[in-house]
Amino acid sequence: MKKGFKAIFCRSVLQIVRRPIYWAAFFILPLFCFMFLSGLMENGLPIKVPAAMVDKDGSSMSRGITQNLAGMQLVDITADCNSYTEARHLMQEGKIFGFFMIPENFQQDLLAGRKPVITFYTNMTYFVPASLLFKTFKTTALYTKAGIALNVLESVGATEDEVVPLMQPVNISARAIHNPGLNYAVYLCNSFIPCVLQLMILLVTCFSLGQEIKYGTSRRLLAMADGSILKALAAKILPQTIIWWVIAIFMESWLFKINGYPMHGSWFWITLSELMFVLACQGCAIFFFGILPNLRMSLSVSALLGILSFSIAAFSFPVESMYSAIGIFSWILPIRYNFLIYIDQALNGIDIYYSRIWFVAYIIFMLLPFTVLWNIKRNMAKPVYAP
Amino acid sequence: MLKFLKKYILQLFTVYCREFKLILGDVGIMLFLIFLPIGYPVIYSLIYNPEQVRDVKMVVVDHDRTHLSREMTRNIDATQEAWVIGYAADLPEARRAMDSHKCYAIMEIPEGFERNILEGNQANATIFCESSLLLRYRGFLMAATNVSQAMGAEILTEKINAVAPLATTITDGDLMPIKNISMGNIESGFDSFIMPGVLILILQQCIILATGMAGGAKRERPSLIGYNGVNEEPSILMTMTGQMLCYLTILIVPIIYLIHYVPLMFSFPMAGRFSEIIAFLLPMILASAALGFCLQGIVWERESVFVLWVVTSVVFLFLSGLTWPRYAMSPFWKFISDAVPATWGVEGFIRMNTNGASLAQEASDYRMLWLLAVIYTAAAYCIQRWVVRPSIRRGYNDYDKMRREAF
Repeated sequence: MKKGFKAIFCRSVLQIVRRPIYWAAFFILPLFCFMFLSGLMENGLPIKVPAAMVDKDGSSMSRGITQNLAGMQLVDITADCNSYTEARHLMQEGKIFGFFMIPENFQQDLLAGRKPVITFYTNMTYFVPASLLFKTFKTTALYTKAGIALNVLESVGATEDEVVPLMQPVNISARAIHNPGLNYAVYLCNSFIPCVLQLMILLVTCFSLGQEIKYGTSRRLLAMADGSILKALAAKILPQTIIWWVIAIFMESWLFKINGYPMHGSWFWITLSELMFVLACQGCAIFFFGILPNLRMSLSVSALLGILSFSIAAFSFPVESMYSAIGIFSWILPIRYNFLIYIDQALNGIDIYYSRIWFVAYIIFMLLPFTVLWNIKRNMAKPVYAP
Repeated sequence: MLKFLKKYILQLFTVYCREFKLILGDVGIMLFLIFLPIGYPVIYSLIYNPEQVRDVKMVVVDHDRTHLSREMTRNIDATQEAWVIGYAADLPEARRAMDSHKCYAIMEIPEGFERNILEGNQANATIFCESSLLLRYRGFLMAATNVSQAMGAEILTEKINAVAPLATTITDGDLMPIKNISMGNIESGFDSFIMPGVLILILQQCIILATGMAGGAKRERPSLIGYNGVNEEPSILMTMTGQMLCYLTILIVPIIYLIHYVPLMFSFPMAGRFSEIIAFLLPMILASAALGFCLQGIVWERESVFVLWVVTSVVFLFLSGLTWPRYAMSPFWKFISDAVPATWGVEGFIRMNTNGASLAQEASDYRMLWLLAVIYTAAAYCIQRWVVRPSIRRGYNDYDKMRREAF
């Protein structure tokens, strides 16, 4: 039996090479997820939302509104319904995401000053398309209203110069800085793709350590390291670290170079963040394994927290809006810090001073395993497999 | 004929009982079938349960400092979405506040804001939003639109007489009221939007993970759990049917809990009919179990299922069309999403549960689910016949091989 760091390292590399499951976990699954998430949202926004028009009036004015609406970029008027019920049925069948309703005698009532009500319905069950529809419907309705008001005012003798500014005297515009087109892929891939990486790192690290205990090979591992658990773990994990670093660097270039997502800061800090992120995730995984030195239990915890991260790390729903008792859990996994550093350093490109504390968090995750080394050693020396 | 039938029913019964005992005795599988569907939805729903993003912090840079600019700031602060935490003297100061994560937006009111309004021109203000979270931006956009409309209407009524003295008689009140109605998820809450779909996804993943793990266990210790690799009985079809029935039995309580009690607890929309939803989900459960049997072809040990399958949840969530609608997917991804039971399950379930569709309206989804169930069962049969059974017949060899490979 060869001993020493190098021997364990080689053994670890061989383990990875020989088992197809590692190939899947290191390369196939993460790379598939990278391609999938950014490929799916290639267009940035799901434009051309299918919608219906319920024109119960059929007058020149109502047809004008239909034409205006159909010309908007975000919607696609796919159906022309005769009644509310018909349109609602189409919505229930999933064929449309909303509809715009013009009441009977619309033009007549409007000209007579009887104030007809225009109503639009959006299916908020589908958040993104419904929000786009809402925006378009509202704009169209407002423009229609302004146009009509203009006509009415002009008919009582006001001039156009006087009236136009009155239509919208106050205009507050909201600008999304650094993602002006509200590209959904920029918003989602930059958080979800690193989170996939975290999940895989947690799972693979726990899996590879658990295997040693399951098959009783951990005693041999310890013997090869002359009983030093630190040496055993370091040599065992290092090959994985190197592979994950390569994947992380690829991820970085995939996001910011190949897909061209906004990158306004320094490459150095982002790269450092990704590299430290890998180590932090591994540290976290070893810590889980140290607390529950059982293959299935540690994998369960990794899977549970890894999947939960997609929600609890507040990529879409902000922490400050969560219940505070739930919100604090967003800080317990490395992905949160990766996300915050991405926002500061890549998206907003602000000074590193403002993100310094997130890097400290990474270091804490890296140090976590040291608190449980004794337990890992104890269990590796006397491996017991509980299915 | 009768004898033939009797033989198969007996086989089915044997498998059913054996599988039941096996699952009840296996903590790992029980975790997937009981804890996961019961605990996970609660944790998940709690995260999003506040539903709305309220009072997001913003800083105001007011270069005008007039009555109207202050009124606008007050109006913005009064909206549900925004919370003005203070004034900044200039943009750099406001930037510093935003950079140090104290606020997420800056409203800049230019000099001459009030003067423009009084002169009868349009007055502009801008809200610069930090765009990392789209929900925050959405809130600020709503606040901006609502405030500018409300203030605009007020100013219009005040000034209209000066321009056209008769106009008030016509424009009295709203000329053409606009109403918008949110269907299904009527409060536009985030929890009610995402959770119903996630519930179905959890159900599918529980079944697949449990089946996959059971497959791993079968391969690792065939003798311990009563599988006889040499004997041809029970037949593959009866084994699969028996196992599916067994999963269905165990899952009855979790399913009722998932589709009825979780929405009840967190007051998600519940517009569907329970019996129809159950009927709708049946083929999805069968298809998921069959997909699990297919997965057994590559799961060599119990725990591999975590590494190989857990991450697919994310992929399936997006494929289901819940967040990224299916009409916007490219034909390739649409095809992949067609092949996932949860896609149809999620789509159908949210339409039935949230929009109150009937089973008849979801007929096409329902047919797709049955089609998938048939296809996956056929595929599962082939995989069980030519991959899984032979490997069990080889018995301990595989286990020994893995042991050697693990050093």
